[in-house]
Amino acid sequence: MTDKTSLHYVHIDEKRCVGCVLCMKACPTKAIRVRGLKVAKIVGTCVDCGECIRVCPHGAVKATTTRDDYKAPAANMVISASPVLYSQFGQDVLPEDIQAALQKTFEYVFDQTYFLDLYNVALEIFIKETSGKEDSSRPLISPVCPVVNRLIAYRFPALLKNLSPILTPRELAARELKRRIEKDDLLKKTDYGVYHITPCSAKMISINNPMFLKTSYLDGAIGINDVFESVKRNLPGPDETSPVSPSNSLAIGWGISGGEIAAMGEGNYMAVSGLPETIRYLEKIEMGLFRDIEYFEFRACLEGCIGGPLTVADRYEAKRTVMNISRMFSHDKRIRYAQAERAYRKGWFFSEKRPQQPEEAGKRSGIIHEIERQEKIAKIMEGLPGKECGFCGSPGCRSFAEDVADGRAMLEECIRMRIR
Amino acid sequence: MAILTKSYPIKARDYLKAGEISMGVHGLLKKIGFATELIRRVSICAYEAEMNVVMHGGDGVMTIEIGEDYVNITIKDSGPGIEDVSLAMKEGFSTASEEARQMGFGAGMGLPNIKKNSDSLDVISAKGKGTEVRIGFVA
Ligand SMILES: Nc1ncnc2c1ncn2[C@@H]1O[C@H](COP(=O)(O)OP(=O)(O)OP(=O)(O)O)[C@@H](O)[C@H]1O
Ligand code: SF4
Ligand SMILES: [Mg+2]
Repeated sequence: MTDKTSLHYVHIDEKRCVGCVLCMKACPTKAIRVRGLKVAKIVGTCVDCGECIRVCPHGAVKATTTRDDYKAPAANMVISASPVLYSQFGQDVLPEDIQAALQKTFEYVFDQTYFLDLYNVALEIFIKETSGKEDSSRPLISPVCPVVNRLIAYRFPALLKNLSPILTPRELAARELKRRIEKDDLLKKTDYGVYHITPCSAKMISINNPMFLKTSYLDGAIGINDVFESVKRNLPGPDETSPVSPSNSLAIGWGISGGEIAAMGEGNYMAVSGLPETIRYLEKIEMGLFRDIEYFEFRACLEGCIGGPLTVADRYEAKRTVMNISRMFSHDKRIRYAQAERAYRKGWFFSEKRPQQPEEAGKRSGIIHEIERQEKIAKIMEGLPGKECGFCGSPGCRSFAEDVADGRAMLEECIRMRIR
Repeated sequence: MAILTKSYPIKARDYLKAGEISMGVHGLLKKIGFATELIRRVSICAYEAEMNVVMHGGDGVMTIEIGEDYVNITIKDSGPGIEDVSLAMKEGFSTASEEARQMGFGAGMGLPNIKKNSDSLDVISAKGKGTEVRIGFVA
């Protein structure tokens, strides 16, 4: 079971870790240390991006999903799958085939398209209504990627107010699904849960520690890599037919960077993917630049969620599949606009709470103390060789200097200092 | 008395590196832990002033001076200078080159933006004498 109080949903299996420096070097928030090159430990702010999962050649880094307990109660699981799943099996496997395959394992399978469409309509109304107003935060930032949300909370808290208040499609879908199941007693049972099939190592934290809701409407997340084999096995044969998927090209394209804003009408929007790029843009937004952009779609994974750490297909293969499949589908949303707008007016789309800065991120030690610390770090830096080798167990010379200044490491741990 | 003073060189027409100095200043202030609103004001002013050196000025230096309750930045360059400072301060006035305009600059909003986001601003310049921009903030 997942520990709801745990801060990290990405964890390192110390038995498998050989103490190499790959994950430490890959970590965009410099949260990993390999002191004495023994085992890697997450010591800093982990935003669950999964970069470490990707680079570990020993399979020692894993994301917490509902994987461990999903097999037994599969019959009670209601599935809402990310459209990224449609990109994983090549262009000859259509969304309806994947739906049919899932239906063989799970109690009830649900396509998210309708909620992606609704979300985009609500977002467009919100942008239009708040545009040009003195007290509106601009640019608005998409709340869809949980890694970006956490990154903002920890490293760019000044931008928390820029996060759009429209609930994510996955939460809108789960809430509505539960309502319908209960209202019509659809499943004839009460011990069911709604699970999200996801490409994302960070979905679990957005479920257990939601930033925009008191509690998530989802009961868990299952990695695409965990269902991949069983979906593949259960795909309909050449003679079987499945009912045509209600999806559309916009929804199928959502998993690609730019897919979210492509599903809206024309506007001054921008899509950025990849964590280093995202950080660079967030810095600039925090500096006060990009005030003329209405909406930013950020995705921590390069090329968008099709590049998520729990996917199976290569991100560029997946992109090609999306491009080809989406051509077979209509470009139109199947939405009753008047109805959607009424729901919007009633507040149906809005988050229950505003995201808060985590307490541990807000700690400050006073300006004078901090300036002294910076000077100390600069001094230590001067003496370091600047080779960025990582032998010291810190991800680079700068991080090592900080660790020394803060008493977490000793200067002699730098191998080149010892040689000299 | 300033607790910390740091200087960074700025190269004119180095469009590739343009903005890096102000991003560095932004990072420094953030690490020190000033209020986010002050950081935003200083950063945007540093950015505009840095860009002006890159676009219009000559090689120069940005100096940041940090006190417990204030931040001052001074940007000095050895470029062509500004002939009429009060005209340059007007919204919409710009002599930006075609090159700069193609990159989205030249709205004539830089100096007015600095004025709006700072607590004090002095532009000391004359034709052929280079430019010195002093910007002050109360923390
Ligand atoms: N460092 C400088 N050296 C020489 N001229 C300058 C300098 N800084 C500003 N100027 C002059 O002042 C004018 C107005 O500057 P301002 O920053 O307000 O607008 P801009 O740089 O032209 O456009 P924008 O900042 O909106 O991109 C410039 O066009 C230029 O003629
Ligand atoms: S880009 Fe998508 S898959 Fe990657 S972390 Fe963000 S939401 Fe998850
Ligand atoms: Mg300017």
